[in-house]
Amino acid sequence: MSITVYLVDDHRLFLSGVKAELAEDFRIVGSAFDVDTAIVEIRGLNPDVVLVDVHMPDGGGIAVIEGVNESNPDVKFLALSVSDQAEDVITMIRAGARGYVTKTIEPPDLAEAVRRISSGDAVFSPRLAGFVLDAFAGAIPSEEDPELDQLTLREKDVLRLIARGFAYKQVARKLEISIKTVETHVSSVLRKLQLSNRHELARWASKRHIV
Amino acid sequence: MGGVAGGLADTLGVPDAYVRAAFLTLLTVWGLGGVLYLGFWLMAYDKVEDREVVAVDTGRGLGLGLAFLGLMLLLESIGWWPNPALVLTAGALAFGTAALTDSSKPGPLAALMDPNVDRPSRTRLVLGVVLLIGGLSVFFTSIGAVFELGVVFLAIVLTGLGIVVAFGPWVRRLVADLATERNERIRQEERAEMAAHLHDSVLQTLALIQRTDDPAEMMILARHQESDLRDWLFGSAPLDGVDLLSTALKDAAARVEKDHHVRVDVVTVGDHAIDKRATFLVGAASEAMVNAAKHSGADRLSLYLEAEDDALAVYVTDQGEGFDPDAVPPDRKGITKSIRSRLEKAGGTVEINSEPGEGTEVVLSMPVEAE
Repeated sequence: MSITVYLVDDHRLFLSGVKAELAEDFRIVGSAFDVDTAIVEIRGLNPDVVLVDVHMPDGGGIAVIEGVNESNPDVKFLALSVSDQAEDVITMIRAGARGYVTKTIEPPDLAEAVRRISSGDAVFSPRLAGFVLDAFAGAIPSEEDPELDQLTLREKDVLRLIARGFAYKQVARKLEISIKTVETHVSSVLRKLQLSNRHELARWASKRHIV
Repeated sequence: MGGVAGGLADTLGVPDAYVRAAFLTLLTVWGLGGVLYLGFWLMAYDKVEDREVVAVDTGRGLGLGLAFLGLMLLLESIGWWPNPALVLTAGALAFGTAALTDSSKPGPLAALMDPNVDRPSRTRLVLGVVLLIGGLSVFFTSIGAVFELGVVFLAIVLTGLGIVVAFGPWVRRLVADLATERNERIRQEERAEMAAHLHDSVLQTLALIQRTDDPAEMMILARHQESDLRDWLFGSAPLDGVDLLSTALKDAAARVEKDHHVRVDVVTVGDHAIDKRATFLVGAASEAMVNAAKHSGADRLSLYLEAEDDALAVYVTDQGEGFDPDAVPPDRKGITKSIRSRLEKAGGTVEINSEPGEGTEVVLSMPVEAE
């Protein structure tokens, strides 16, 4: 059974472009130009993957994720945006998105990202990997859950290679591990990014006016 | 009175009428209510967006306050200071009056006090001046006769209120007009600046794109404009005028994109000020990017900067043809050599990882200069 995809973007031109690109590989079950329609329809359709634009009127991508998360916890979100500002990336990931790509992504890469998201993995663009390395850099804070607040050496290696522009397959070969292990590392980083109270994340976010 | 009393009532969560009654009752205690009212009014005035609403009802409040004050003053001057029972009666009366005054239907008094009436109300002016003179005369009389603090105080309050009633609305309107005018001017300047920028950048690029037939050229133009606009919108201006390594690398990447029709994805972790060594690094990175753009056959490159406390590292990666570093064709060797000598002179190192069919990665590292 093919993967079902729902699209949310207030830019109609972009939406129809992405629809055409993905229609070959996936079953596009619907799309919306605004937050409210999106929430209602996604609740009803329960698609595998939702591609959601970050910046939209009435709360943007965050509102869509938050409006659907409780009723349909299995729906996975891939955030798409023209902006690749750190605050946008971090906000979307912390709201529950399992990946973040910019709209300049090549169509085959987007298809690959959707597939990866649908199988429960995380999608880190080079830039997102860079942000995470930046946010988790520096000394380890002595918080109550140190495991959540720091990256392992292996995770850092994986992120560095992603930031350098390598695909998961190449990362795996360079580190002499399996692709599955690379995916596990990335998912674990995603979880840390979503759950960590690491003060750098909070400070970073507040410095950029998001909390 | 809606404006001040109503606002206060909303804040306190009690019916308007009680607040109004409280104000008027307090007025009997040496005009305390009036002073309070004036204070709240001035505070409320700071909320510019509520200006008009507050203004209308404030006039009414002042009118009622003044009427009450006048009554008290009259009683005082005939030597019949109100006893508690009278205060209560007066309070009840004021309560009734206030409750009956519906702010949505301005009574004659409110109309009289309304500062939004276009021409300055002559009646209001006259009333104000009369109160002023009245207040002053009571003041002087009291000095001449028995010096009584209460009367002096009342007189001062009355005089102040008189001045406010006579000139307040006019001054207030003047201030408001000035503020509106200034805001409007700032908005216009911002608009003009934005229009100028968009004209020079986005509109020019769109015009260029329309004249271009080559898709690759279009792509480059669009990409260049995109990063330019992004910088302008979300701008990462150099901190304290210090140019940053990340900015210099982004600029270098943008130049390569423009000159060589490739896309360069730049990712930076950490940052460093542009010093002599960092400048060498930027130069070497530019050369590596140009090299990759010319020879790898890839249409996109990655540039990754990792700035740590003691070392800087720049990775230029492509997913192109790659080559066997041991069997480098002479023309490529020349370029590699120039990168290497440039960087090593400054104390850095160059590492080239490549295999035929596996792309190429150039790693440029440089120790950080000791402060």
